Order: sequence, then C-alpha cells, then structure tokens
Amino acid sequence: MSQNSMSVVNVASKHELLLFELESTDAGNIGLVIRAIYDGQEHQQFMEKLDDRVKSHDKDIERMCNHHYQGFIDSIRELLQVRSQAQQLNNEVLELDKRIMDTAAGVIAKGEELVKARKVENNMAAAVDSLTMCLPVLAAYAKLQRQMKDKRYYPALKTLEQLEHHDLPKITNYRFSSQITQQISVLRENIKDASMSDLRDFLENIRKYSPKIGEVAMKHTAEQLVNEAEIIGRKKKRQATPQSNILAGDTEEELSAQDLMDFSPVYRCMHIYTVLRESDTFKAYYRQQRKQQARLVLQPPNNMHESIVGYQSYIHGILGFFVVEDHILNTGNGLATRSYLEEVWSMAISKIVNALRTNSAYCTDATLILKIKNLLMLFNTTLRNYGYPVSQLWELLQEIRVHYNEVLMQHWVQVFRDILDEDSFLPIQVSSQAEYDHVLGSFPYHDEALQKAEFPKRFPFSAMVPKVYQQVKEFIYACLKFSEDLNLTQTEVDEMIRKSTNLLLTRTFSGCLSSLFRKPSLALLQVVQIIINTGYLENSTKYLEEFVSNITGTPHEGQLSCGGVQSAMFRVAREDAERQICDKLKRKLDEFLELENYDWNLAEPQGHASSFITDLIAFLQSIFMCFTNLPEEVAQVACKSACSHIAKSIQGILISDDVKQISMGALQQVNLDTIQCEQFAASEPVVGLPEGVLLQYFAELRQLLDLFMSLDWPTYFHDYGHESSKYNLVTPNTALILLEKLRESDKKTVFSVLKKSERDKKKLLETVLKQLRQLAQTTQQ
Amino acid sequence: MAKTYDYLFKLLLIGDSGVGKTCVLFRFSEDAFNTTFISTIGIDFKIRTIDLDNKKVKLQIWDTAGQERFRTITTAYYRGAMGIMLVYDVNNERSFENIKNWIRNIEENASADVEKMLLGNKCDLADRRQVSKQRGEQLAVEYGIKFMETSAKASINVEEAFYTLARDIKAKTEKKLKEASNPTKSGGHALRAPEISRKPPVWLARCSIL
Repeated sequence: MSQNSMSVVNVASKHELLLFELESTDAGNIGLVIRAIYDGQEHQQFMEKLDDRVKSHDKDIERMCNHHYQGFIDSIRELLQVRSQAQQLNNEVLELDKRIMDTAAGVIAKGEELVKARKVENNMAAAVDSLTMCLPVLAAYAKLQRQMKDKRYYPALKTLEQLEHHDLPKITNYRFSSQITQQISVLRENIKDASMSDLRDFLENIRKYSPKIGEVAMKHTAEQLVNEAEIIGRKKKRQATPQSNILAGDTEEELSAQDLMDFSPVYRCMHIYTVLRESDTFKAYYRQQRKQQARLVLQPPNNMHESIVGYQSYIHGILGFFVVEDHILNTGNGLATRSYLEEVWSMAISKIVNALRTNSAYCTDATLILKIKNLLMLFNTTLRNYGYPVSQLWELLQEIRVHYNEVLMQHWVQVFRDILDEDSFLPIQVSSQAEYDHVLGSFPYHDEALQKAEFPKRFPFSAMVPKVYQQVKEFIYACLKFSEDLNLTQTEVDEMIRKSTNLLLTRTFSGCLSSLFRKPSLALLQVVQIIINTGYLENSTKYLEEFVSNITGTPHEGQLSCGGVQSAMFRVAREDAERQICDKLKRKLDEFLELENYDWNLAEPQGHASSFITDLIAFLQSIFMCFTNLPEEVAQVACKSACSHIAKSIQGILISDDVKQISMGALQQVNLDTIQCEQFAASEPVVGLPEGVLLQYFAELRQLLDLFMSLDWPTYFHDYGHESSKYNLVTPNTALILLEKLRESDKKTVFSVLKKSERDKKKLLETVLKQLRQLAQTTQQ
Repeated sequence: MAKTYDYLFKLLLIGDSGVGKTCVLFRFSEDAFNTTFISTIGIDFKIRTIDLDNKKVKLQIWDTAGQERFRTITTAYYRGAMGIMLVYDVNNERSFENIKNWIRNIEENASADVEKMLLGNKCDLADRRQVSKQRGEQLAVEYGIKFMETSAKASINVEEAFYTLARDIKAKTEKKLKEASNPTKSGGHALRAPEISRKPPVWLARCSIL
C-alpha cells in the first residue's frame, strides 16, 4: 500500500475489473483471471477486495431478505389456506367422481346390451338372407324328388337344369349344395335310366298291342272301303234320288289305330335324351330295338298255315308295327327317319313275302286261300294308305292266285272223281216236266224231238254231263272270286279264267277220265256213254264261253282271239274217250281170242265156226247195237279197229311160232271162222261205212286162206308182183311159214306116202317151198 | 301149241237188277269192290283162270243186265252157259221171290243139263236182312241146287261159290267124257284116241253149247 497513493488507486480499479470479470464471465476465463491475480503480487489486496465484496453481497442479501420477509409470511399463510381449500375441492371432486361413476355404470351396461342386441340383429339378418338364398334350391330339389317319384321325368330334368345352372351357383359354400351338385349327375343318370325303362315298358307294350293296332287299322281300311263303295253306290243312287242325306258314317269318327297306343313315353324319352344331348344314342337305341322287334314280328308262327287266325295275327302284328313306325315317323321329331323306315320296310317286305309264300304254298284249302287273299288285300290297302310300297305283295298275290288255281284244280279233281264215281253212265231219264226242266236248267241242251217226246223222256247223256257243266261253272266262279278287287283288267280276268278253265278241262277233267278208264270195272258200254257225254260237253263249250264273257264283261268278240284254245276245253277228254273205246274193245277181243283152242291136227273141219268166234261175233253184235247212239265216226273207227284187230289176230295165230304144224283140216276150220267174221263185217254192224271197207281188213287173211284152200300156186307165182294179182297181199314169207307148217303136219300121216298122188303132191309142195324161199330172199334183199 | 287151259267153262250170272251180280263178278275177277252202283248195260264178261285138281280151268263169266229192257240180249247167252249163278239180295225180299222167274227163264232158254247155283248176296248187311238163310237153303233144296250166302263187299264165299260151281261142272264134264270115250275106244279108231283124250273137254264143251 505503500508505494504511492496514486498506484494504490490503480491497483484498486484493476481488481474491480477482475472481479467483474469473475462475476460476469464464465469458468473459462477463470484461469486467465487467476493468472492475472497471480501475476500481480497483489493477490493479498485482491483477497481483501474479495472479502470486501463478499461482505457487500452479504449485506445486500440481508437487506433483501428483510425486505421480502413479510411477503413471504403472507404467502405462507395464504398457502396454508389454499391447502384446506384444495382438500375440500378434492373431496368434492371425489364425490362428484363417484357420482359420475355410478351414473356411467348404468349407461355402460345399457350400452353393452345395445351392442349385443345389434350384433344379434345383424346375425339374424344375415341368417335370413342365407336362408332365402337356399330355400329355392331346396324347394327345387324337393320338387325334383317329387317329380322323380311321379315319373315326370321331363319336368324333373328341367328342374334339374334350373337347379344346376340357376340356383346352385348362388350358394356354392354350403355342404348340402355341394352334395346336391354332386348328386346332379347321378340324378340325371337316374332320369335317363327311368325314362329308358319307361321306354322299355313302352316297347314291350307296343309289341303287345301292335297286333291290335294292326287289326284296328285293317278294320278301318275295311270300313273305309265299304264307305267308299257306299259313297259310290249312293252317288249313283243320288242321281236318281237327290234327297239322300249325308253319310252317317262320317260323323262317328272312331279312334285311329295309332291312338290305341300311348306314345308319350317315346316322346318323353326322346325329349329327355335331346335335353341330355344324347338324342343320337337314343335314336340308335330305339331303332335297334324296333328292328329287333321287327325281326320278331316278321317271324311267322309255326302253325300259321293251319288256319286264317295264324295269318291274321301275323299280318296284324306286322301292320301294327309299321303303323306305329309311321306314327313315330310323323310325330317323333326325327326319331324315325324316312330312310330308316324304308330300310326296315324293305327288309320286312321280302321276309313277309317269303313267309307268306312258303306258308300259303302248304295250303290246300281254297277257302283258306281266299281268306288269305282278302286278308292280304286289306293288308295291302292299309299299308298303301300308310304310304308303304306294296308292289311285291301284289306280285305275291299273283303267285298265290296261281297256287289258288292249282288248289282249285286239286279240289275239282275230287269233284270230278266223285261225279264220275257216282255216275251210272246211263242216259238221264225224266218222268216229269219238273225233272226235265231241272236238267235243262243245269245244262244247255235243246232238242226239238225231246221237247215233243212223251214222258218219260230220255236225254242222250248221263247225269255226269249237267254235273260236270255245273262244276265247271262253279270253278269259274271260284276262279273269279280270287280276282275280285285284284284290280285286274277285264281282259286279264277273262284270260286268266279261260286259261284256268282250259287247264281244268284239258288236264284235270281229262286226268279224271283217264283214271276212270284205267278202272277194270268200267265196261265198254260205259265208255260209249262217256264218249257221248263228252260230245255233249264239247257242244256246251260255246255256252261256257258266253258265260265267261258275261261275268267278266269282256265283249263277245274277244273269244275269237282265243277261240282256238277254247275249243280244246272238252276236246281232249273226248279224244281220250274215243281212244279208250278202241283199246277197251281190243282188250275184250283179246280175251275172246285167248280162248282160241284150235286143234291143229284136225283131219276134218267141224263144219261150223269155233265157239270162241261165234261168241265173239255175238258179243260184237250186241256191242255195236249199243254203238248206234255213238257219234258215227267214233263207232266207225271202233268197228274198223275191231275188224282189223280180229283179222290180224287170226293171221297172227296162223303164223305164230307157237304153232308148229297145221293140218289142212285145221286150216279149213280157221277158214270157216274167218268166213263168220267176214259175214259179220259185211253185215254193216255200224251205219255209214262204205260197203266193203270192213271186209278190206280181212282181205289179206282171205287171200292167204284162198291160196292155201285152192293151192293155186301157179297163179300166185305167175301174178306175183302185179297190182292186180289175186293174191297181191300175200307175202312170200307168210306163205312160206304157213306152207312149212302144213308140210310138218303132212309128215305125220305116214300112210299117205304110199299113194302116188300123195307123192306127187309132196313133190309139188317141195317145189313150191323152194320157189317161195327164193322169192322171200329176193324180196328181203 | 301149248294150250293155256284144259277146260273152258262158260258161266252166267242172273238175278234182279241191283242184287250185286257185277260186284260178285268184280270181286271174283279183280278181287276188288266198287261201292257205286253202275247198272250193267246189256252184257259183259270177265275171264279168270283157276286151278282145279291140277287142271287149268278158264272161267268165262257172263254178267247180264238185270234190267228187263236188256232181257232179249241176255237170254241169248243162256244157251251157251254151262253153269248159271242165280243171285238175289238177302236184304231184298222181291229179288228172292223173283228167283222163281229166273229159274223159269233158265228152263226155257238154257240147256237142260246146265249146272245152277243159288247165291244170297250182301250177307254182310245183317241189320237189313229180309231173307233168312234157311229160306234160301230151302229154295235151293226145292230146285235141287247148291246154295251159298255171299258178300262181294266183305269178300265172303265169292271164291268158294265159283269154285264149287266150276268143280261141279268139271265133274259132270269128266263123267260125260268117260261115257263118250268108252264107245270111241271100242269103235277102234285107236290112232285118234290120244288126241281125243287130250282135247275132249273143250270139244265136248263146245258140243254142249251147240
């Protein structure tokens, strides 16, 4: 302090600064301050200064404290006051809070309840929604089940469709829906199967009913035909009586044949399969089934040929089948196509034709054939009405017609046989006008003389003539029966009848006659009557022709064209009968000639004819007496053949190898017999023969006998070869044979050799023999 | 020449129309029967060869029409007959009564030594019989001829009847032949004798006809 007063003031200021520095600056500067203090050696001073400073501050603090004390006390007092108030407030608040708490709890509870309720409400709404979604499905499903149960498969299928495409997609997330979805295909199969089984039932039924359908269809056709006929008839009548009313038949329309059958299963099935897009399968199935049925139907029953019932059921079955097919074709939406039906039909028609042909061929009953024909006619018409081509059946009918005619002929064989068996071959004798008229009624015969004759009258022919004539007419009627409604032209019918009738007479009747001729019991005179009969029958041909023309309606000139054929009707029979009479006569003569009993060693003739010759001639005489009512030519021919036969036979006996030797006496006996025969020949046994014609047949025998009786050898040799020769008919050969037999006989007479004349005679004989041999050789060369 | 027979007998069938003469003959000649009645017209004959004691006998049997209108034709054959069958129908009284008339016819027209036989035909129809067998036998005894009931239809006694008649004729013929041949032998035509013995039946038969 000491240094200077001025230095003392400086030092004091400097500290003041430092202090300030200390107070105002921060700790970083502290070091510098400290350094500054330490650097100046006055730190003591500074210490003092610092102390001073602290004392000043203390004094400030004291003053300050003194100054704020009251305020502080007041504040505390106030604070204390606040404390109690705060307490109170707190209580109040607590109470309030409690009260609030109480109130809020109720609210909260309600609120929670409310939330819950809302939740339930929501859930319910959702459930209702879901259910509304599901119900249609279930309803549809139920409906489906019901429809299935009711076998209403088509609606069922529709429902199923709906279910599948419309309802189910909306509710995929349910188990039941997925189940249903899975079931759909199964159900569909079920429907398919069910409808198929329905179809099968249908097919079974149709098989059962188709004969009935066929029957009804044919019945309708028949009625229709009758109606048409009536209409035509009425139209004709109407022209006369215009007031005729409308047909009653039109009003009562009956069910048509196909209505008998319920076709709905087929349609349903078809629909179902179409819906299922399997219509092709179905069509194929249907057609196959029906084809099989067709095969069954076309199988004719085993005993079909026995009765018409067999044919009927066969025809009805077939017809039923095709009526049904036709209906299916028209209504079945392409289930049956035209081509399918044509195929089935063409298969069927050939089988039908075959079956009918085979079966009808067995048939030998004309009435049955007629019935078959009528059946087939109706069958044809019905089929044609349904649009099937039936030309083959027409052909079959033609065949059956031929067969029918055959059968008729077979039948008439019996008829003719019976007539011929029954006939007495005696001329019909009538004792009253009624009987006379009866005969004339059945046979066209006009004879003035007979007309005028007294009763009892005698017709020239026997009972078989009118009977045969009637039967031929019957036959023509029977023939005609078949050609009725066969749509043949009159000319065709006419030709057919003429042909058949010709065949009947030329083959059947003639056949019956010739079998009659073969009967040993048939006597010669009966053959005569048959010839007479056939003659009258032949004359009746023109009436038969007229008869045919009348019923066929062909103009009369038509017969001219086949007139040549016509006249053959009975001619064959007559010609046959005429041949028979010669044969029969010859056979009878042979029986006589077999009785020939010549004694070839006879020395002297008996002086009269042999008994067999007298018998024979007597027999011939009585026979030819009966021949007077034969047509002259026939009697002439028979007589000629008889004479020729006798002459040949006698000559045959003479030159027969069995006869080794002939005595002159025996030859004279033969001569005697021959003379008898010649007398008979000359006696004009039948009228109308030129004189000598019959004798001509004995000429050769006569010449031979004359030659040997007179031994006129010189003349024979001299005139040999000349036309005018007395012995021009005697051949050297015959003469030689006979002469050798005479020589044989002569050899036995031993005694004759002794006589000279006999020796000469013998020599002559040898010479003649030699010459004859030469002559025979030259003629042979 | 080998003869086809040793004897030739001519037989005649007579009786009313419809008694079955033709059927009897038909049965005998053809062994057959025809139900339909065909009246015989005029006359007809059948020939059948039978064997009697190793002899071939030809029977030429004439079948006559029973109807009156053929009487003239038929009576002409009576003379040649060596045996006559009188036929009646046992079911037809009238035909039996008419036998008397037929016998008279024979007496008038046939040769005296003709063999006769009475046949009651159609004996198979027992229920319609009108003539008893006894009556037939009695009638036969009256005339001293043989009797048989026959049926052509049932083939009863037809063969037997014809054989019987043929046998009787043969016996008669042979008896006559013996009588005839004895004087011939004594007559001394020794050379002809064998010839005659070979042939005579026929020869004699002819005689009887003529």
